[in-house]
Amino acid sequence: MNPAGSLKVRLPTGEVFALPIHPDERSLAGMLSAAGLSLNTRCGQRGLCRGCEVELIEGSLTVDGATVAAPAIVKACQARRDGHGTIRIPARSRVEHRPQVGETFAIGIPYAHQPLFTPVPGGRDTGFAVDIGTTTVVVLCVDLVTGAILSRAGGFNEQIRFGDNVITRIEAAAKPENLAAMQRAIVHETIRPLLLQAAERAGRALERFAGGAVAGNTTMLHLLVGEDPTSLGSAPFTPRFLSGRQVLAGELQLIVDGLSPEIPLQLLPGIAGYIGADIAAGVIATGMAYDEVPSLLVDIGTNGEILLQSNGQLSACATAAGPAFEGGGLRCGTRAVEGAVSELRLGLNPFGLELKTVGDVPAGRAGGICGSAYLDFLAMGRSSGLLSSKGRFEPAAWEQVPEPYRHQEDRERALRLPAGRPGGLTISEVDVALLLQAKAAIGAGIETLLETAGIRAADLGRVYLAGGFGMHLNLGHAIACGLLPGLRREQIRVVGNTALAGALLALVDRTTLEEMATLQARVEIIELNLVPGFEDCFIEHLSLP
Amino acid sequence: MNELHPLTQAIIAGKRKEVPDLVAQCLAAGESASAIVEHRLVPGMAIIGEKFKLNEIFVPEMLIAARAMKEALKVLEPLLAAAGVKPEHIVVIGTVEGDLHDIGKNLVAMMWKGANLGVIDLGVNVPPARFVEAIREHQPELVGLSTLLTTTMPAMRDTVKAIRDAGLSVKIVVGGAPITREFAREIGADSYAPDAGSAVDMAVALLQGKA
Repeated sequence: MNPAGSLKVRLPTGEVFALPIHPDERSLAGMLSAAGLSLNTRCGQRGLCRGCEVELIEGSLTVDGATVAAPAIVKACQARRDGHGTIRIPARSRVEHRPQVGETFAIGIPYAHQPLFTPVPGGRDTGFAVDIGTTTVVVLCVDLVTGAILSRAGGFNEQIRFGDNVITRIEAAAKPENLAAMQRAIVHETIRPLLLQAAERAGRALERFAGGAVAGNTTMLHLLVGEDPTSLGSAPFTPRFLSGRQVLAGELQLIVDGLSPEIPLQLLPGIAGYIGADIAAGVIATGMAYDEVPSLLVDIGTNGEILLQSNGQLSACATAAGPAFEGGGLRCGTRAVEGAVSELRLGLNPFGLELKTVGDVPAGRAGGICGSAYLDFLAMGRSSGLLSSKGRFEPAAWEQVPEPYRHQEDRERALRLPAGRPGGLTISEVDVALLLQAKAAIGAGIETLLETAGIRAADLGRVYLAGGFGMHLNLGHAIACGLLPGLRREQIRVVGNTALAGALLALVDRTTLEEMATLQARVEIIELNLVPGFEDCFIEHLSLP
Repeated sequence: MNELHPLTQAIIAGKRKEVPDLVAQCLAAGESASAIVEHRLVPGMAIIGEKFKLNEIFVPEMLIAARAMKEALKVLEPLLAAAGVKPEHIVVIGTVEGDLHDIGKNLVAMMWKGANLGVIDLGVNVPPARFVEAIREHQPELVGLSTLLTTTMPAMRDTVKAIRDAGLSVKIVVGGAPITREFAREIGADSYAPDAGSAVDMAVALLQGKA
């Protein structure tokens, strides 16, 4: 080890600790991750985003081969040790260790008790259901005799250090060593500890586990079993497999004391490259496949998935919303982690601004703004007259905003929230422009899919809003700003993590697994970019109604 | 703004529905299609590009303006073709193989048309050989390659290589969300456009540099 130099990290508590220096000269982000301080390296440590910025408060670092001296803001993924230095990690750059994990869901169908793995009384009588999200992972511990959920455990998908979305992970997987490392990250570093936690909470010894069922998007399931996902990175996005494979714990290197390496993990079957097993799970768990009225499933994420059922006919599309609703690319954006502003109320005449945070953290300590609050801002900014239909501050209305709430830098105007991290939180017109593109991608996706099938939004009997974001947004505002265009609140059912619900269903009633497997042949995939009217529809949706 | 023609103003404000009537009025007043493009549309898109550069407008407003211009071109392009008007400069554009995203590419194509360039749009998921073939056929001075997915960046590299290997002297400009200046240089492109506004400046500079 090169003894020259040391790095210190100042924590939010004021405490300073010395960062162990790695002899292999990895990046600052790499060293922090090894020390348990994972940063938001969402672009896969390529220096393209600002997710992992840290403050150099003393000493120096090397960035791009040049010495940078304090005080400075540096991207930790691009920085290396350069003698002595002390850094401070702003809250926004941390991958929080308390993610808001979608552990709750609604199951919309009756189901039988026909467990996937026959329980042996006094022996293997316990199963587990897993949802591998690109961001978060949940494990449920289930009594196979009664079908009851015994416990839950959730956390971040440790693959996040390879990139925060499926495309960056697919790109990372091009290197064989990364493919193996990502498999280890999901199996050994994510599922294993969650399984241990869930088993402990359930009071079940691991010897009693008979097997598990796993839902996830197509890329996540490829990475779980170590299949190369490269073909999912470019058109025609052909997966290596979609079928509901069974693999043994031992084959995955899921090695836990007491757990038999011979027990199977059942992967749920997918529908297409970008309409994965997570969506197949949702189609069955919501019961939409059996609805007698036209119904729609919408899962809003970086990649929004939309599936329509009408007279038993199924069609689906994926739409590239980008990371804005997860806070990506926005000045003060963050995921829905503790301390994020999650709700916002805005009035103009008289001016009023109220904030609510995840975990009811005092607004003065809010660390960022998450998607649901941005959506509130779009809807209420527009309804109050502060925002124009193009998402700009209306000049006359802007003058009515009290001075302390107004922020202007160069020509860019922003609403200042009188709270939050040093320097305050702002929502700028550039943020709004990015949010408009994200909401237009979802709104136009819904409209185009409906149009292709000749269905009007008003004809939909039910709209199932799935996923973590759907659980926390204000439905009235989602409709008002055009994210869910033409819908009425009473049509919408918030169904939570239906991928997890589907994994549970498959575990307790194996016939549901068979039904999921029929979907691949039944669902017509609509490639939005190839629908002639999609671009016009998207541009139409860039405005605020 | 007062001195701008109503058609130019409608383009800038993205008032798509007003555009066809305004074009019809210009034609009725005896303006030729090429004069309308040159004196009504090109100044409008130049202002849009300028405002974008100054952060006065952002991507959504630029897209809305570009779509308004598309309405005008729907009327004018057949007239230009019928009159046998040949653009002074020809450029080719497309999204590289494996990528189906075209909103960014279409915006650049519109901005280029708005700068009075003759644009041959090859669409999405264009294999390297198709680019080479189109360059041979249309003899453009410039070709634009676009991609949105990081995973299709290698296809952009392959496309540049195929064009170079074919011995074509065309200038290559690349752009798209994951592309960086370094990547553009590394793969041997002539130029990198970080956004649709600069794609116009870049094209004009490259074309004039050649002239």
